[in-house]
Amino acid sequence: MSDKTTQKDSVNLSRRSLLTKGAAAGGALVAGAVSARAASPDPLITEIQDWNRYLGDGVDAKPYGVPSQFESNVVRRDVAWLTADPKSSVNFTPLHELDGIITPNGLCFERHHGGIAEINPADHRLMINGLVDTPLVFTLEDLKRFPRENRVYFLECAANSGMEWRGAQLNGCQFTHGMVHNVMYTGVPLKHILNEAGVKPEGKWILPEGADAAAMTRSIPLEKAMDDCMIAFKMNGEALRPEQGYPVRLVVPGWEGNMWIKWLRRIEIGDEPWHQREETSKYTDLLADGTARRFTWEMDVKSVITNPSPQAPITHGRGATVLTGLAWSGFGKIARVDVSIDGGRNWETARIDGPSLSKSVHRFYYDFDWDGSELFLQSRAIDEMGNVQPTKNELRAARGVNSIYHNNSIQTWQIKPDGSAENVEIS
Amino acid sequence: MLKSLKVGLFAGALATATSLAGNALAQDAAAGEKVFKKCAACHAVGEGAKNKVGPQLNNVIGRTAGGVEGYKYSKPMIEAGGGGLIWEAETLAGYLANPRKFMKGTKMSFAGLKKEDDLANVIAYLATFSEGAEPAAEEPKAEETEQKSETPSGNSSVAAAPATLAKDAEVPSHGIFHLGRVALEEEITAWDIDVRPDGAGLPKGKGTVAQGDEIFAEQCAVCHGDFGEGKDRWPVLAGGQDTLTKERPEKTVGSYWPYLSTVYDYVRRTMPFGNARSLSDDEVYALTAYILYLNDVVTDEEFELSDSNFNEVRLPNEANFIVDNRTEETHYADKKEPCMKDCIAEPAKVTMRAAVLDVTPDSEEGEGGGSIE
Ligand code: HEC
Ligand code: HEC
Repeated sequence: MSDKTTQKDSVNLSRRSLLTKGAAAGGALVAGAVSARAASPDPLITEIQDWNRYLGDGVDAKPYGVPSQFESNVVRRDVAWLTADPKSSVNFTPLHELDGIITPNGLCFERHHGGIAEINPADHRLMINGLVDTPLVFTLEDLKRFPRENRVYFLECAANSGMEWRGAQLNGCQFTHGMVHNVMYTGVPLKHILNEAGVKPEGKWILPEGADAAAMTRSIPLEKAMDDCMIAFKMNGEALRPEQGYPVRLVVPGWEGNMWIKWLRRIEIGDEPWHQREETSKYTDLLADGTARRFTWEMDVKSVITNPSPQAPITHGRGATVLTGLAWSGFGKIARVDVSIDGGRNWETARIDGPSLSKSVHRFYYDFDWDGSELFLQSRAIDEMGNVQPTKNELRAARGVNSIYHNNSIQTWQIKPDGSAENVEIS
Repeated sequence: MLKSLKVGLFAGALATATSLAGNALAQDAAAGEKVFKKCAACHAVGEGAKNKVGPQLNNVIGRTAGGVEGYKYSKPMIEAGGGGLIWEAETLAGYLANPRKFMKGTKMSFAGLKKEDDLANVIAYLATFSEGAEPAAEEPKAEETEQKSETPSGNSSVAAAPATLAKDAEVPSHGIFHLGRVALEEEITAWDIDVRPDGAGLPKGKGTVAQGDEIFAEQCAVCHGDFGEGKDRWPVLAGGQDTLTKERPEKTVGSYWPYLSTVYDYVRRTMPFGNARSLSDDEVYALTAYILYLNDVVTDEEFELSDSNFNEVRLPNEANFIVDNRTEETHYADKKEPCMKDCIAEPAKVTMRAAVLDVTPDSEEGEGGGSIE
């Protein structure tokens, strides 16, 4: 596929720049960064720099601002061999380049089944039909007249970490864990819209449907729909990005990303689930005995260390080191994150910083003095319901290795004496 | 040109084609880029374009039909090229308007572009990747430019207010907020095409295995293979029975899917990939019957599937789906306070590394295993 070669080129480029940034001598350490005293004055300080003398661009140079040119390697990346065609494929959030809890809109991973629908909002309609008193059609303008709310939620693809069941495979948390993002949505509680049509007493399920070429559909119990689901038209304050379902998407907090129907155009109410392709052929979890779980909606408690990690090695030598990562659970808030640097022999509780919101990612830090020796980094999240993130072996013992979905196991990064990191499994 | 006429493939498409040919290159290549999305599932164009399901389309204008080396064309395409068919604005317009009418037996399973503008624009777009083709006239017409700067979405930041006074607006009586309008029956019928395992939602209609075989060969086999075995990485639709407990399970309609209704529903809403909603209800019945046949669920080529016998068919794996019981797994059920100190006696030893099987995108090695589907 032609995309594959360009993809490779750009990734190679970033690896090259990583190497030049990192270490001339093969490892990841920057020689000299550890010396406490400079041998000669730093010309960056003693000489006047261009940006200090000459005027920069004026205010309108970029009416819509973009990141610094020095951040050009901070991009979503895909794994070309995973799928037959980029129109039904996925790319991954660069978790190792981000901090805090909010994912910038342009870096939220993408997963489409029929490409990105391009819809003029003036041409978009949302229909409510089925077991309702009055089937209705809304324009986007109509939707914006319902009372709104703002909520921060993570969205995780059920297949996140799905390539790691049989063992360590992809070298970077972008690829092992990057099918998650965390965004503040502005929109309307779904219950307002369903109540406007009037759900009949027999109505027990909804079927949201997308307007894209995959006409994506999933069955969702009415109870969830009436609880915390939203119809969102803004993400992080601005209009949804086309790849995230512009102009409207469904928000299904804590549940599989596939259910968050993008380009939402219709919601049907029924008395039974529909057993659509995405809840039979896909998004069902095959177990070792050949049976398969269906309707595995909630995303389990999970965490990952984003730095250091294979794409973000330690470049500064021993001494003060910031370890950081993300934790989340579809069952509520994260109560605690423990970190181990010796491969799970001993654990210490990490510091959570930033907002702690239900069904949103939490940012944790563990600040420690690295002595330069080999480390095995792990993180383990515990949510407010008392669910503890399991080990890979616990999950494999319960399910086998063919589930694809819902791999929330503890990840291990090996830190080598040169500061580089690798995705490993340990005894 | 006469030579290509000798091939005798033009039929009715020619009338449209010639009227278009004259101004095709003057059309809008930018608009054509959008139209090309309909083609992009199967064709690549531009720098480094490779053959996909269809041949790459660089320099297609002026090229002999079937002229890309290394691409496996259908016999009719090769014969047409041998007979002198050259891709030019008018021949392309004829082919793209109705591929199978223009060239019986072509393996391009594409319904055709119905709008003349789309045809002209996509050809103009292809011309931008063809050396020697006249460049498209890109200058916009004067009136158009003027109009643009007047629209509120252009330079002005103030949106136009509606023409009627706010107090005269009609407020519907339904609901709590009185928003939206009542959906019409025709609108619901147009969008509500979902089908349930109990048959609710099935349209009237019928189709046989043999009919499905023919449609499948024309419209589906390029990706899914003649027997649903799946070409390259396109999905496998048949086989895999008894593999669910094996090391590499093959999940197909026959080995895994619980309900036949899902096949009907999904094919009708999404397939063929890149040309959704183009099949008639009867064609979907025939294709569903054929997929059953490929999976040995039915064995008679004359078997006819219809809305009246649909519910009699059961898929073999239906009973093997269970409810979500993750919370009963011991690691969740226990809800134990996890160990914090000296949890494992021996020091950690590496048992597996990602670098051994280096399939991360920046590595030089090939492809990994596993799936995200
Ligand atoms: C579903 C896949 C598919 C789609 C969609 C599709 N094509 Fe094709 N196309 C093919 C295949 C396969 C062939 C080879 C036909 C043959 O050998 O008979 C082909 C052949 C062609 C050729 C002849 C090329 C040559 O080298 O002789 C042209 C031109 C072409 N397609 C243009 C288009 C355009 C333009 C579109 C969109 C408007 C389009 N196709 C949509 C699959 C497709
Ligand atoms: C251009 C390639 C292409 C063509 C032509 C095509 N398909 Fe598909 N088909 C796909 C892709 C890609 C998917 C998976 C889409 C996704 O990821 O959601 C798919 C999925 C399917 C599935 C579901 C497979 C599963 O295991 O979940 C069925 C059934 C199917 N196609 C039937 C058909 C039929 C019938 C036709 C002909 C009318 C057809 N397809 C034509 C590419 C194609």
